[in-house]
Amino acid sequence: MYYVWTIVLAVGLIAATGGVQAGPITFNSALPVSEGIGILRSQVKLVRKSGDSTVQNRDLAVTTVPVVLAYGASPKLAVFGVLPYVDKRMNLTTGAARIQREAQGLGDALFFSRYTVYQIDRPGDTFRIAPFAGIKTPTGSHNERDASGELPRILQPGSGSWDPFAGVAITRQTLDWEFDMAVKYRMNTEASGFSFGDEARADASFQYRVFPRTLGGGGVPAFVYAVLESNLIWNGKNRAVGAADFNSGGLTWNLVPGLQYVTSRFVLETAVQIPAVQNLNGSALETDWTWATGFRWNF
Amino acid sequence: MRTLRLLFIIGLLLTAPLTIVSAQDAAFQSVIIQVDGLSCPFCAYGLEKNLKKVAGVGSVDIDMKAGQAIVQIEQGVDVTDDTLRQAIKKAGFTARNITRK
Repeated sequence: MYYVWTIVLAVGLIAATGGVQAGPITFNSALPVSEGIGILRSQVKLVRKSGDSTVQNRDLAVTTVPVVLAYGASPKLAVFGVLPYVDKRMNLTTGAARIQREAQGLGDALFFSRYTVYQIDRPGDTFRIAPFAGIKTPTGSHNERDASGELPRILQPGSGSWDPFAGVAITRQTLDWEFDMAVKYRMNTEASGFSFGDEARADASFQYRVFPRTLGGGGVPAFVYAVLESNLIWNGKNRAVGAADFNSGGLTWNLVPGLQYVTSRFVLETAVQIPAVQNLNGSALETDWTWATGFRWNF
Repeated sequence: MRTLRLLFIIGLLLTAPLTIVSAQDAAFQSVIIQVDGLSCPFCAYGLEKNLKKVAGVGSVDIDMKAGQAIVQIEQGVDVTDDTLRQAIKKAGFTARNITRK
């Protein structure tokens, strides 16, 4: 456990001193929003999980399309709403047959706000600290069924629960590079006798301008950033009817290389989350890879 | 005579755009604002939009490298430094020097 934190910290320090910059791809809580400005953001996120050690030999494919709306209520206060569409498909062996169970629909919406409590601006350089807090709401269905009966909770589009979360985002941005960090804790509550384990995350993102190599005078040129992110995610054990599920939860550390094309009106971005460490409990499914690609649009 | 008339018309056509440009220059006052904290293209839009909301501001050009907003203000319209600073603050940045030309 200690060595994982050491590696994360080392990557962060290397990134900060290596000199680089555009806004994180895999976490959006450090997004800068001016007063009266709206930002629409969406991604297509594909997740593949497998590695089931049981006879069911499960594998899971999840496609998520979250739509994020952000609005600058004041220079320091930004409010966010996230509504995802999810498609989950699981293949598993029951008896002698291999079957697929699936669910599609709206997932759980998130609402949160972020307030900048500390800001230092210099020419071509800014440093900001912004705590945030919000809630995940049960807008997604959590009692979908198929021919085999009610779907397991990890296949349901929603959790059915109201889950508060809070954290803090830190951003240092220069003309050449940007470094973002965010820590977040989400307390997952019970719904219909089941609760997902709590989640704690420590995210870091380092973005370096690779094009144009040197800035010419005048105007707002488009930038291309090379991005390297790190997601350290801890999930607690799920609980069903008060009992812990020892085949759920654990620790995952993703390394996320990516690219961003940034203009004054829009951002195009893509990244692959590669699990570097997966220390999961019991037969919890391991993530093979996650691919995210999307856009942001200023209005 | 015909040649002279042709040269006169050509001269008129060549100088007309200059006359229009100088008339436009006279109609606007150029204000250069040093903006601290401006470091990515995506953030520049919020700055431009907030400055354009100020009554009397005709156009806004952002120079990312220099960290400047070059604002054209209609002649005769009183736009104070404080108003411009407030617009930049709303965009989430800090105004430093303001130079009027």
